[in-house]
Amino acid sequence: MTLRGDRRRAGWRGYAGAVSLVVATTALGAATRAVLDVPDFEMLYVVAVLVSAVFLGRGPAIASAAVGVLAYDYFFVPPTFTLDVADLRYLFTFAMMFGIGLLVSSLADRARDAAVRAESEALRGTLLSSVSHDLRTPLAAITGAATTLRDQSVDEPTRRELVEAICDEAERMERLVGNLLDMTRLASGEVAVRREWVPVDELVGAALARTEALLSRHRVRTEIPGGAALVSVDPVLLEQLLVNLLENAARHTPPGTEVVVRAAGGPGGLDLEVADRGPGIAPGEEERVFERFHRGGRATGQGAGLGLAIARAIAEVHGGTLRVTARDGGGASFRLLLPGAGRSPTVPSEDDAGPGGSV
Amino acid sequence: MSDAKDLVLVVEDEPQMRRFLRASLGAEGYRVREAWTVADGVREAAAEHPDAILLDLGLPDGDGLDLVRRIREWSAVPVIVVSARGREEEKVAALDAGADDYLPKPFGTKELLARLRVALRHSRALASPGSPILAAGPLRMDLERREASIDGRAVHLTPIEWRLLALLAAHAGKVLTHAQILREVWGPNASAQSHYVRVYMAELRKKLEVDPSRPRLLLTEPGVGYRLADAPR
Repeated sequence: MTLRGDRRRAGWRGYAGAVSLVVATTALGAATRAVLDVPDFEMLYVVAVLVSAVFLGRGPAIASAAVGVLAYDYFFVPPTFTLDVADLRYLFTFAMMFGIGLLVSSLADRARDAAVRAESEALRGTLLSSVSHDLRTPLAAITGAATTLRDQSVDEPTRRELVEAICDEAERMERLVGNLLDMTRLASGEVAVRREWVPVDELVGAALARTEALLSRHRVRTEIPGGAALVSVDPVLLEQLLVNLLENAARHTPPGTEVVVRAAGGPGGLDLEVADRGPGIAPGEEERVFERFHRGGRATGQGAGLGLAIARAIAEVHGGTLRVTARDGGGASFRLLLPGAGRSPTVPSEDDAGPGGSV
Repeated sequence: MSDAKDLVLVVEDEPQMRRFLRASLGAEGYRVREAWTVADGVREAAAEHPDAILLDLGLPDGDGLDLVRRIREWSAVPVIVVSARGREEEKVAALDAGADDYLPKPFGTKELLARLRVALRHSRALASPGSPILAAGPLRMDLERREASIDGRAVHLTPIEWRLLALLAAHAGKVLTHAQILREVWGPNASAQSHYVRVYMAELRKKLEVDPSRPRLLLTEPGVGYRLADAPR
């Protein structure tokens, strides 16, 4: 599922579609002129308006009715190759075509809205049940451990264990709440991408620093030739994307395995890969892993299956793509491709005369 | 760990947070004063001369940043903002308003105490006559002789790199925002932009870090600025 509604992307494409439909109808009419009678052409144009109304929306439907009426009149209504109308009957035809266009497109709109509403209701349902479960689970552990400490006397090792549980579960809740907020902001389109020119290795370095503890039992290798190259991205969002990919690797791959971060960037864009040696990705799962609340089969119960959905949303608000493929020799490879954003800025060079300035 | 008797003023309207802060600061030997409004906080700061202030931003009678601005008119007491507003813009706003550090809620005691120690040490270093030697972890800078070394190995720096590194080292452990760095290194009227800072940081990392993509000394706070690691990690 895409994050931003793309149903109403009618725009100029819709209108272009409507006009092409009318052109095709006219060509069809011209080709069958020998067989069909004038009123039959009318029906052909009505079909074009119907198709526009159902698939392209109201604006394109009205456009196809208008252009269709003109084409019908010009090519088929006697006197042909003029816009004159000999018979009053055709005025009625024109009015009817507009009417059909309006009526059918508003019906189609309503049906689409209902479908969208049903979809978002279903989503809200999944979200609520998933969130309440994911929030209650750590909360239950915290409540249990804290009340045990308050109401019972326990020995020192048990006390330590309970305290650890409280800390771990609180951390888990914090991560979940953070993810939910990120997801909500990204999905609502509320996030403004604040692009800045950032060296590639600074992005990777910041993300690795934040996931250091999580990946302490993995071998992490970086391959960043030309790491100081500048790329135009929102540094906060991109770091989040990387952190989510690294967290995903940490959670779904066994300790001791290798995680490779490759990155190459420049004015042409950014090509970044996080590759692991985990269980890999089952065929057919390549898209599903990016769905909200999807959990990999071997998930450890951490997180709510939002990390990869957030990562992809961040790639999309940058105009890029994030995909996963199975790796030769086992494991999964997540690859981010971002388009370039023009020439990178320059920094005036300084005379390298050794330390000089004062602080 | 701390110098006993350091006085910390906690300005926070949430009773459970005050309870937790009182307990953990007290256990560490700090004396604690509490306030829960901007007005009370300003009054306490003026009357008690705390050694550090822990400040929540969402207070019943106003924004905690107003308190920072008012206190900054007459005091350099270190202020650590503790807030549930975790967005980068908000951190930058707090630091640029004069706060010394920013700790997003929720946070652990360890992190809080570490930040508090750094803040207290800085304010003492500022109060005492400056030493010409700056040292942080493996880094050593001799300001008089203009020499820098990392793990004992001399490093050659350009003038801008020197100014940038000296600024970060002078505030080791503390986040400096892009705007603060630009102002201090390139001057208040320079038309420098934030990518200047990033490019020079990348150069410094090449010279000072074993692996520039996994920095140990020159740390990035994404969307906020940079922090020079206070101790070897």
